Amino acid sequence: MAMRQTPLTCSGHTRPVVDLAFSGITPYGYFLISACKDGKPMLRQGDTGDWIGTFLGHKGAVWGATLNKDATKAATAAADFTAKVWDAVSGDELMTLAHKHIVKTVDFTQDSNYLLTGGQDKLLRIYDLNKPEAEPKEISGHTSGIKKALWCSEDKQILSADDKTVRLWDHATMTEVKSLNFNMSVSSMEYIPEGEILVITYGRSIAFHSAISLDPIKSFEAPATINSASLHPEKEFLVAGGEDFKLYKYDYNSGEELESYKGHFGPIHCVRFSPDGELYASGSEDGTLRLWQTVVGKTYGLWKCVLPEEDSGELAKPKISFPETAEEELEEIAAENSDSIYSSTPEVKA
Amino acid sequence: MQTPLATPVPVLRLPRGPDGLNRGFAPDGHRAPLKPEVPEVLEPPESRESQEQQARASLRERYLRSLLAMVGRQVCFTLHEGVQVIAHFGATDLDVANFYVSQLQTPIGVQAEALLRCNDIISYTFKP
Repeated sequence: MAMRQTPLTCSGHTRPVVDLAFSGITPYGYFLISACKDGKPMLRQGDTGDWIGTFLGHKGAVWGATLNKDATKAATAAADFTAKVWDAVSGDELMTLAHKHIVKTVDFTQDSNYLLTGGQDKLLRIYDLNKPEAEPKEISGHTSGIKKALWCSEDKQILSADDKTVRLWDHATMTEVKSLNFNMSVSSMEYIPEGEILVITYGRSIAFHSAISLDPIKSFEAPATINSASLHPEKEFLVAGGEDFKLYKYDYNSGEELESYKGHFGPIHCVRFSPDGELYASGSEDGTLRLWQTVVGKTYGLWKCVLPEEDSGELAKPKISFPETAEEELEEIAAENSDSIYSSTPEVKA
Repeated sequence: MQTPLATPVPVLRLPRGPDGLNRGFAPDGHRAPLKPEVPEVLEPPESRESQEQQARASLRERYLRSLLAMVGRQVCFTLHEGVQVIAHFGATDLDVANFYVSQLQTPIGVQAEALLRCNDIISYTFKP
């Protein structure tokens, strides 16, 4: 029985979603943070898209957001010339790091001790999060605003992208090691530690380079301008989205286009695979985040697989259960039948 | 060639959105772990709480058995405003919030099937 992809739409933002990031897998599951032009980045449960909280404090559009590996800290980059570090459990603001211009990108080291920032002032900054009062180390060299900056090679090197170049820097010496030039604007960059792969998008191209040598590995052309792409953790698939509002899924080895989905009502700005590869999230100009299944029809998160014997014809539509109270915790899929039909809590004394 | 229309993957529910009231996050500052924690300390078997719990459990069991005994019998319900109705008891729901009855004798006639809300019932009696 052929199954059609049912994307899960996460609403809440009121302006375009421009960046998103997943945490690593933690004992509490994994998490997703979204950066939005409404200035209010949100934290969500990664496998369901359930809203957990909103980080309040920025006074301008938030251009970049990231979580540390165990999702205890979040960092955001905003148009109010600051980057902020947050406690991702309580939602409290921990640090405000003043910059001289719009900040576009933030990234934690693996141990969460350092934060890398980059923005329109064309400088890379490294903040020691254990010494918030100390001045950051600065790396200059970019000739246009920095769009993305990432730690790589176990935090020994830094990758940064501006409009037309991607540069590799050595952390210890703070000097440029290598650079790549493009004749089209670089729209996004993703770093895959296992295999040291760099995913770069520009124009309609999705390119894969070695993160160590910057040498090209392969590249694919999409039917439209691509704004963001992500490689599956097992490197079987990649997903990409851009100006035609569609999401494309390709086979990484053959380059064959496997699936494409319409759904967003505006250009897609960011797309990322979850750390377990079971779903990917897309953020769009239309102000929504959508979660998509990697394997359509699998039981995972809020998606429930229906076996042929269970299909009574009524399950043709996506099942939406009754509205739930706010006190309910993360539910097991098997607990579906325990939803109470009558909303009043039973007060009857036996 | 017409391909059959594919069925959309069913979902349990939609992702929850912001509640619009506050900024969210864990209320007590801690996240709920995915797997429930195994209790490490076993309470002493003869503690006061445990005795009370056992009493509650046996009282509840007696009540549930009384409901079972009532099935099919004629029961007299005392409702608000001194209203009394007689009906054949059928069943209650899981939370004992509603009583499903048949042949309900009301002041305005006999109702073949009816649902009495527990909140409306003050007391009921029956003879086994």
